[in-house]
Amino acid sequence: MTRDDFQQSLANLRTDVLEMSDCVTDRLERALTALETVDEEAARDVATADDAIDRRYLDLESTCIQLFARQQPVATDLRFVASSFKILTDLERVGDLAVNLAQYTLAADRKRFEEVDLSAIGTLALEMLDDAMTAYRTDDAALCRDIADRDDELDTLCQRASERVVRDLIEREVDNGDTWAVEELMDDVSRLLLIVRDLERVGDHAVNIAARTLYMVESDPALV
Amino acid sequence: MSDSQQTHSQTQTRTSTTDSDQPLETTSGETVEETKDEWVEYDFRGEAKMVAEDLDVYYGDDHALKSVSMEIPEKSVTALIGPSGCGKSTYLRCLNRMNDRINAARVDGSVQLDGNEIYQDGINLVELRKRVGMVFQSPNPFPKSIRDNIAYGPRKHGDIETGLLARMLGRDDSNEERELVERSLKQAALWGEVHDRLDDNALGLSGGQQQRLCIARCLSVGPEVILMDEPASALDPIATAKIEDLIDDLSEEYTVVIVTHNMQQAARISDQTAVFLTGGKLVEYADTDQIFENPRSQRVEDYITGKFG
Repeated sequence: MTRDDFQQSLANLRTDVLEMSDCVTDRLERALTALETVDEEAARDVATADDAIDRRYLDLESTCIQLFARQQPVATDLRFVASSFKILTDLERVGDLAVNLAQYTLAADRKRFEEVDLSAIGTLALEMLDDAMTAYRTDDAALCRDIADRDDELDTLCQRASERVVRDLIEREVDNGDTWAVEELMDDVSRLLLIVRDLERVGDHAVNIAARTLYMVESDPALV
Repeated sequence: MSDSQQTHSQTQTRTSTTDSDQPLETTSGETVEETKDEWVEYDFRGEAKMVAEDLDVYYGDDHALKSVSMEIPEKSVTALIGPSGCGKSTYLRCLNRMNDRINAARVDGSVQLDGNEIYQDGINLVELRKRVGMVFQSPNPFPKSIRDNIAYGPRKHGDIETGLLARMLGRDDSNEERELVERSLKQAALWGEVHDRLDDNALGLSGGQQQRLCIARCLSVGPEVILMDEPASALDPIATAKIEDLIDDLSEEYTVVIVTHNMQQAARISDQTAVFLTGGKLVEYADTDQIFENPRSQRVEDYITGKFG
């Protein structure tokens, strides 16, 4: 491989990682909509289509390993390949979380706890992920730091939502004789807590991506 | 910290705070000051074994090395990298005055070994080169036995006396010589392969073994600094790995300075790396980790990532 080919491979890697992130973001967006609208068909679609992301992930991971082995990148090139390698893992995990969200939708064909604004949490998490990938695409260090700051906001939203559900559970009067209602309520509560936790994790992955991107751009490991 | 180092530290602060908006390197119009800024970014640790200050070398009209200032920390590996003709071998040869052997070469500036100027009149060059030994690109053992290769230097320097005359004069250092040969070969990780054929001709050894023999020969006279000019470039990967392991071991006791074209080798074995670029300038000198992960100079970045021209 000539040096020009190598530079082309680096450019291709960036495009491929961005394409994978588009795919993951789209999946997450659809999972969130399905959850919101209790759209089982859309949820099933997201839940069963994770293989393509996994395959892409393994392909790109292998590309990075080959670049390490054959080109022994250094300096900016090294930081770019090393960061991309780590970012791929975060994207793959977000793909898994989208599947989780879809499965929560499939597991219960009803809405509960309307007072918890899942959509606001989901939108913020999605926005952070989107911005992290924009930072990666445009080498934007300031945006990386901004994403890390916004994670506190997301964490607060998630914590409030969890507390609200638990408080609601404590205050709710359930007919103890009605076993079915108790089971159903427990099911709903645990599912909602899992949804909140998973959305919080999407934010964590967005911060990871921002951290790796900051290292890539400025060799600054501050957020890692 | 000396006054001059104090000044350099202040310069370093200035450079790093303005790093993002001030290009360190341009393809034209660079100044000596700019080079110095980059040099002082090296966070010097440990005692300086050798110090070069404002070193210029001319080969006739050719200004081969331009105002190079650089400290070499003791008991560590310092790699010198850069394209052909950048001055790195010239710099290496200044460290034990090998350039004196080139008639057209003129050296200005200062090189100190343990604080003592080596470019002063009356310096004993034989003594200097004992303390600052050299290993070359092609293994160049004497066409003699393995034993004689090692003992040649110490015999020549009169450190050991053996043979009939020595015995007649009441001095026989045969045991010392045996010990010296064994010790030097062990230090060069060659003893195990040659201990049962010390009287065989050294030219019968493989290339990698010959190079380790040359290192053993260099060690036998008790150097403090070992200069290596592309010591593994003529060797296969297995022999190269042995030399690299050896360099790593040697750096616990000796100060090693190595010129290499193999950037991965510099990355693998050195503690600090100096990058010389065309024009005989030291462009950046820093911890090896920094050079290969985040060099300050754009020209160094372009060189090590292969973006030439």
